[in-house]
Amino acid sequence: MSARADILAKLGTAAPPPGAAEALLADPVRPAVAGDRIATFLTALALPASGATHERIGTVAEAPAAVARYLAEHGLPAAVFLPDDPRLAADWSGFALSPAITPDEPAVIACARLGIAETGSLVFETGPHAPMLPNFLGLHHIVLLPEAAIVAHLEDAALPGPQPRAHYWVTGVSGTTDIEGQYIRGAHGPRFLHVLLVGEM
Amino acid sequence: MTLGAPRPRVALFVTCLVDLIRPRIGFAAIRALEAAGCAVVVPAGQTCCGQPALNSGARAEATAIARRTIALLEGHDAVVVPSGSCAATIRVHYPELFEHDPEWLARAEAVAAHTYEIMAYLDEVRGWRPDTALSGTATYHDSCSGLRELGIKAQPRRLLNHVEGLSLMPLKGAETCCGFGGTFCVKYPAISNAIATEKAAAIDASGADLLLAGDLGCLMNMAGKLHREGSPVRAFHAIEVIAGMGDGPAIGEAS
Amino acid sequence: MSAAFSKRVDAALADPILKIAVERTAGTAEAKRAIAVDAFAQFEDARTRAAAIKDHVVAHLGYYLEQFEAAATSAGAHVHYARTADEACAIVIGICKAAGARTVARSKSMMGEEIGLPHALAEAGIGRVETDLAEHIIQLADERPSHIVWPAMHKTSEQVSALFKQHHALPHSEETIPAMAESARRHLRQGMLGADVGISGANFLIADSGAVCTVTNEGNAELSLVPPRVHIVTAGIEKLVPSMGHAVQLLRLLARSATGATLTQYTTFYTGPKRAADPDGPDAMHIVLIDNGRSAMREDGLAEMLRCIRCGACMNHCVVFRQIGGHAYGGTYPGPMGAVLTPALDGRAASRDLPNACTLNGKCQEVCPVKIPLPTLLRGWREKSWREGLEPATMRQGIAAWAWVAQRPRLYRLAVRAAIFAIRRFGRGWITALPLAAGWTAHRDLPAPDAESFMSRYARGER
Repeated sequence: MSARADILAKLGTAAPPPGAAEALLADPVRPAVAGDRIATFLTALALPASGATHERIGTVAEAPAAVARYLAEHGLPAAVFLPDDPRLAADWSGFALSPAITPDEPAVIACARLGIAETGSLVFETGPHAPMLPNFLGLHHIVLLPEAAIVAHLEDAALPGPQPRAHYWVTGVSGTTDIEGQYIRGAHGPRFLHVLLVGEM
Repeated sequence: MTLGAPRPRVALFVTCLVDLIRPRIGFAAIRALEAAGCAVVVPAGQTCCGQPALNSGARAEATAIARRTIALLEGHDAVVVPSGSCAATIRVHYPELFEHDPEWLARAEAVAAHTYEIMAYLDEVRGWRPDTALSGTATYHDSCSGLRELGIKAQPRRLLNHVEGLSLMPLKGAETCCGFGGTFCVKYPAISNAIATEKAAAIDASGADLLLAGDLGCLMNMAGKLHREGSPVRAFHAIEVIAGMGDGPAIGEAS
Repeated sequence: MSAAFSKRVDAALADPILKIAVERTAGTAEAKRAIAVDAFAQFEDARTRAAAIKDHVVAHLGYYLEQFEAAATSAGAHVHYARTADEACAIVIGICKAAGARTVARSKSMMGEEIGLPHALAEAGIGRVETDLAEHIIQLADERPSHIVWPAMHKTSEQVSALFKQHHALPHSEETIPAMAESARRHLRQGMLGADVGISGANFLIADSGAVCTVTNEGNAELSLVPPRVHIVTAGIEKLVPSMGHAVQLLRLLARSATGATLTQYTTFYTGPKRAADPDGPDAMHIVLIDNGRSAMREDGLAEMLRCIRCGACMNHCVVFRQIGGHAYGGTYPGPMGAVLTPALDGRAASRDLPNACTLNGKCQEVCPVKIPLPTLLRGWREKSWREGLEPATMRQGIAAWAWVAQRPRLYRLAVRAAIFAIRRFGRGWITALPLAAGWTAHRDLPAPDAESFMSRYARGER
């Protein structure tokens, strides 16, 4: 017998009673997210455990200036990796744009599809214009997020329909406590996370 | 003021350790139960609840002991036990032993439903409060079985708070196991010792004169460690203090 | 006690550095978890629901396996089944060889440890880059993990520094932990980006979509699983959940129970390999679904253990683990969950001490996010061991004798009288040494019994 047949024979493959799995989705126990989702999101984002910073801008057109200010504050040149993402269309002519992502890229721009108020998480998916690797290689991860795209709970994060290669939530900066329990930011992933919350997108 | 039946007929199950090592606990139990308006009987054939066999995996032996014990304890308004772990053995584990035996399961469940750890019984079932005094400071250790299997936590403290002159000091890690664990302490003595050493340090650090708890096994372990290390802390079973016998010899003090 | 276990325990108890490490790791986790639990008002209800979700899946495991396989396959992944650790390793090595892999990048996976993947890769001559910082340290030290969440918690920064200076091309120059972490970041970057194959575990397998969910704090998983041509997942069959909505409810408990965080920094759901138009991602995804004793556990009274979401809370709160650390357990998994799993995975005779070296205090069950009745399962192992005659003769005879006498009250009273007489010859108050009780008196004093037992005094009319 094949391993597959053997294992399935041992376990049996009878379906559960109809509705049993769905019943376990009803009324999930979760922290309440009351009223102003944007405020809740920003509060979660601002927690020390997150390590993220943010700025609110009106439109995507204002993003390049905001990015330039951020980079200057951190003593970095105006050089970024910008994916070929139509959501990021703006005047980036003031920047040196990396043609391809490098292992020690100082700054990476991205656009998140959603923000989750419950946890201050950013939601991304892979797609033709949304490479995944840059979001984990850059030292500074600068993410645009439409205000209107902030949902309340983790249950609201899922992308409906056929799934992409990767759907991922970023909740704060990369970190580790693996050496003597000491917290280190930017273990492998980004050390800095800066969210540009866009009023209209 | 007491609640419940006017004069319940209560069977005292003293436990093998109390019988062998420290009878005072049994007499304190009787005193407190009578003060709470109970008619106390001590079934003569009692020996051990079978916990050592149960925890060693000797299910057949544990079941045989359980049958005897159930038969001995049936027919009383309540069975009261000055030990969280022995009370839990009867209340929680006896029915588990008879999962596949409907006749004995019914009998086990009936006894279990009427079996109580003594401080929970006095506090919650009888609504009784002690009328006694003892000057000094005490710290209370929550024995694991009583705490996690029977929810014994607030009851001893409520009773002890009514002992005039007694101040309860918090114990850091009160809910942390003392390392007794029944046969564990003799099968794995080095690990048990390491755990008990930390517990003794916490007891010393509490600043209390007295250590109190609801299980004699735990008390022997902690008091034995404290004494070996030269600590002046003296240990009693909480029921002794509650029954007004806290002025007698502590555990280990020759009587 | 087996000689091997005794030796490991003695070594652990004699190691003050280990004690400091365990206290720091588990003590911090305990404190942080407590804060997170306090802040989550309905934590208890969430636990109940989480246990129900896992029980539902385990009861219908075959159904959800088939559903997962179909969904993952239609998303373009290859699904393999392995009955044993050896079968699983053979499948992984086979995929690596077919891909012409010279190096693999691994993100942390206890399943990889369980099946012995590091050894299998070494035997096959395939280079292995451990990308999780702690696993990297462990690899350099050629050791096994000592904790399921902090595998290198037993290493001091001095030990880490020495390892990095020995193995990194451009090691740190300052003796600080941030500098060491920077050295690892530098060293591992090329390894992650240059590997031919990326191997991960799975925290959850999502049945309806065929997605594999991983949770990490460092971002090393994503860095190991995007660049390589092939992504291999090794996952226990019990990692299934029906849908993402079910996974979410478990995710809410996982980080809170493990580290006190609301979520780990990265939560990623991979569904199949890259799509044709994706700018990055692996060309192929292989998912190896591993039984290795799990279906047997379900049938043998250990179904509740299959709820485990590998948070590590049980060991962080275990008084025994807090004294002996992880290596003393001798298996892949330490602490209470290890004491239940190791006899199932490695056989009872080899791991008899683990279910016994436990006080049955129940704290582990109290903190388990999926309410696994760990003490009950440990007692179950003791019962099995007893039935099979694996307990030492002295123990069996002692308990049998006790039980026999305990059912004969008159004989019992005589035995009590004799015991009192015998013990009091060694002292009337505190006894410091007692034959046959060296296990006790080696470390603590024993209170002598009173002159007469309770039952005897009561029978004489004393009140």
